[in-house]
Formats: sequence, C-alpha cells, structure tokens
Amino acid sequence: MKKLHQIFSIAGYNFRLWRKNPRIIVTFALAFVMCFLLSDKAVCFAIDHNTTMQIVEVFIWNFGDSNSILLSSVLLVMLFADMPFLSSGTPLYLVRTSRRVWITGQVVYTLAATFVYLVFVLICTAFFSMQQSFVGNMWSPTAAILGYTNAGERVAIPALVKTLEMSWPYQSMVSIFFLMLGYTSVMVMIMLVCNLRFGQAAGVVSVLVFSVYGILLKPDTIQTILRLPDEAYYIANVTIGWVSPLNQATYHMHNFGYDKLPRLWQSYCIFGALVILGYIAALQAAKRYNFSFAGTEG
Amino acid sequence: MENVIEVESVCKSFGDEQVLKSVTHTFEEGKIHGIVGNNGSGKTVLMKCICGFLRPDSGRILVNHEEVGRDRDFPEDIGIIIETPGFLPHLSGFQNLKLLASLRRIANNHTIYDVIKLVGLDPDMRKPVGKYSLGMRQRLGLAQALMENPSILILDEPFNGLDKYGVLHIRNLIKGLREQGKTVILASHNQVDIDELCDTVCEMDAGNLTVVR
Repeated sequence: MKKLHQIFSIAGYNFRLWRKNPRIIVTFALAFVMCFLLSDKAVCFAIDHNTTMQIVEVFIWNFGDSNSILLSSVLLVMLFADMPFLSSGTPLYLVRTSRRVWITGQVVYTLAATFVYLVFVLICTAFFSMQQSFVGNMWSPTAAILGYTNAGERVAIPALVKTLEMSWPYQSMVSIFFLMLGYTSVMVMIMLVCNLRFGQAAGVVSVLVFSVYGILLKPDTIQTILRLPDEAYYIANVTIGWVSPLNQATYHMHNFGYDKLPRLWQSYCIFGALVILGYIAALQAAKRYNFSFAGTEG
Repeated sequence: MENVIEVESVCKSFGDEQVLKSVTHTFEEGKIHGIVGNNGSGKTVLMKCICGFLRPDSGRILVNHEEVGRDRDFPEDIGIIIETPGFLPHLSGFQNLKLLASLRRIANNHTIYDVIKLVGLDPDMRKPVGKYSLGMRQRLGLAQALMENPSILILDEPFNGLDKYGVLHIRNLIKGLREQGKTVILASHNQVDIDELCDTVCEMDAGNLTVVR
C-alpha cells in the first residue's frame, strides 16, 4: 500500500509540473489546432449539405484513419520531451523510494498523460462539431451520405460502410479511443526504454523509427517482397493488418467477422502485452541508470 | 567509532573522462566530514554515488553495512541536499515538505512544522516556493533533509545563497547535529565553513581523494 502511494506520488509530482509549463501549454494548443484542421473538412461537409452529425462522429472519421493517428501520436512526443522526467526535485523523491518504484511512477505518469491527451483530443473534436451535432447513439445523415455514396472518398473522409453497419457511434468511439491509447502507449514506452538505455536523443529517434515503420509498411511493399500476384493482394493487406502497429490502431483494419484481419480484442491484447514488455524493459534499464539532475554536477 | 560509510576503490567515468579514480575512504559515525575541492573535481559525483544516484563503474559503497546498488537502491536513513534542491514552485514550503514526507510516512505535520522553524523559516508562511529567495530554498532543502530524523546527512554546498546570518544559523544547526550523534558529509567551497565545522577533511582533486586532516 505504501509503495502504491509512492508510485502515485511520483506520477502526481510530474503532473504538478504541468502548471504554467510552456511546453505543456504549447502541446495542448497544437493538439487543439490539429483537431480544428482535421475536423474542418467533415464539419464543412455537414454545413454544405445542411445535415446534422453525431457528436463523436468527427472523432471517429478523423481517427479511424492511420495518418491522423500518426499525426496526433507524434505531437504527443512534445508532451514527453523532458523524458525521463529528471528535475532538481527528483533526488528528493528518489532517496525516499527505490528505482523500481520511481520507474513504475514514470510509467503510470506516461500512460495517464497519454490518456489525458487523448481525452482532450476527443473533447476538441466534439467541440468543433458541436453546432451541427446531436448526442443520441445513432449515425447521422452526414455519416450516411459519406458512407453510402462516394462523397466520403471524394472529400477524403474515411467514413466506411463497414463502420456504419457493424457498430454504433459511441461503441466505435470507445474502440478507436482505446486503439489510439494502445498505439501511443506502446510508442511512449519504446521512447522511455530507449531514453533510459541510450539517452534522450535515442528516445526521440526511436519514436521517429516507430512512426516511419508504420508509414512505410503498406500492402504494396508486402506484395513486392512476397512477389504476390494481384489476385492475392488481400494476403498483403491482412499481413499489414497484423504486423503494422499503425494498422493495429486503425479501426477499419480490423476483423468484423468476415476476413482474417486482427479482431479488436486481439489488438488490445497485443498493445497491452507490448506495454507490459516495455515496462519490464524499463525496469531493467533503470537498474543501471545514472541519474543526472540538471544543474547539480560538480 | 563505527564506520557508517565505506567507499572502496570506486571509479566513475563519463565517456572518456574519469571523474573518480579509485576512491577509497571511510566515514566514521557521529562526525562531520568535510570534502573540499574545485568545481568539477568530483565532489558531487562522489556524493551521488554514495546516495545511489550514480552507479560506480567499479568498486563498492557500503552505507550502514549495506551495499548501495546491490542490497539497496538508495541508502535508508539518509537525508540529502544536492546543491539547490528543487521544490514545486506553486506550493508553500510546508505543502512541499508534506508531500515529500508522505513517501516515507515518518514525519508528521507537527515534525514538519518544527523543522521548518528550526531552519529559520516561518511554517505558517503561505508564500509559494517559487517566490522564495535562493537562501530560503536552501533552508527549506535542509528542512527536508532533517525532517525524517536520519542518522546520515549528505549536504552538498548547503550554504549556497545564504546571507551571513543564514550561514551562521545553519553552521550552528549543523554543529547541533554532531551533538545528536549524526554523521554529516559536507561539501563546501568555503574553507571557513570546513575549518569551523568539520572533524575530518578530505580534498578531492581531479578524481583523487586525499585526507587533509
């Protein structure tokens, strides 16, 4: 119980440092701008067609797309630019706890901060579509137009029939939220481990490599590598659905009962397992970690 | 007197630079031990190794007969100031110490109140630490080091930023610690502090520790 309290105190200490912190303010301000830019297309479409939207639809259309997930996750790196969160106050906490407790506190903080960031993104997207929206758990006329005509493709909004027919708005929102949380949590865990093992620059590079891996891994690449004929393109698509973390985080790249793509629960389990692996790796790295606090060398 | 801290052949490098060169020394219980040396001579690195924040490349450090980094991550029963301690700037001194005290649950509100008074600050002051002078922060740093009544104190430049009355006050306080049987390791640039306070003095020079007295 005492250790649990220590873990949450360390995580809480990091959150207390958010107050009046320009980096944190800029990160959330940029997230707000990003949500505005991403939401604009769908909201304008609804205004032009004089149709209503479900309040979480903009979030679903925006973050049902891998590029938007990638963009929001890269922005999250700014939130953790000071990883592994060493300040002149850190020694006072360290000396009263242990390395294991300290690193667990940092992991709790990174996961909680990621959660807060995604809640903020969700609220922002809902805010931007508020004027056109209703809160009932049913798809809107805007969604129907986007999904059942080629309008969605024309304006590059990934409103898919698959999503409309297989789930309800809040159900989709929860799934997308947790897929994004899983993906971004894995990313920050990789960043934390690389940071502890190889230094701060390595932490940032690891995020870039992780993101580039997601971008480059496309079905065409797999088709070329495996020399698949065009009629076997679906094999490449399914392979990508499994091996690309970005596709694991993309809602419509999941099995809704008629293909071999990962199911949602399988993606949650994969992300969960990777986060646990990351935590174990971070614990190992912390054992040999040399704590260096700014302004205290001599 | 028993040795409470034993440093055995400790080496520490950062890249190509060897900061500690096979440092061996023992610190006896109930004394004030001074470490002098120029900036960058390795004083703080040695203190951080003793605290467990840095892992020696070779050698070992025993605090109260427990090897730091093997038996324990950080020594128990220790109070520290590593130069100017960082506190949450929007909280008062009392609130900051209460937050830290909640980790070990040794010091209660009453103890915190008393220790803040002991270092010459007003425990009822609501002013946030962000508005404290450097000297006030240093006093609060000493209060956090003392509040759990540790038997060992590691004080790196505890007189930083203090005015002459502050220096006198903290000197007397440190002298009082010796009377209570506490072991203090004190690093300071100021020779007067070292001469007046310390029972033993070592000099750190380019990673080598030599006994001065």
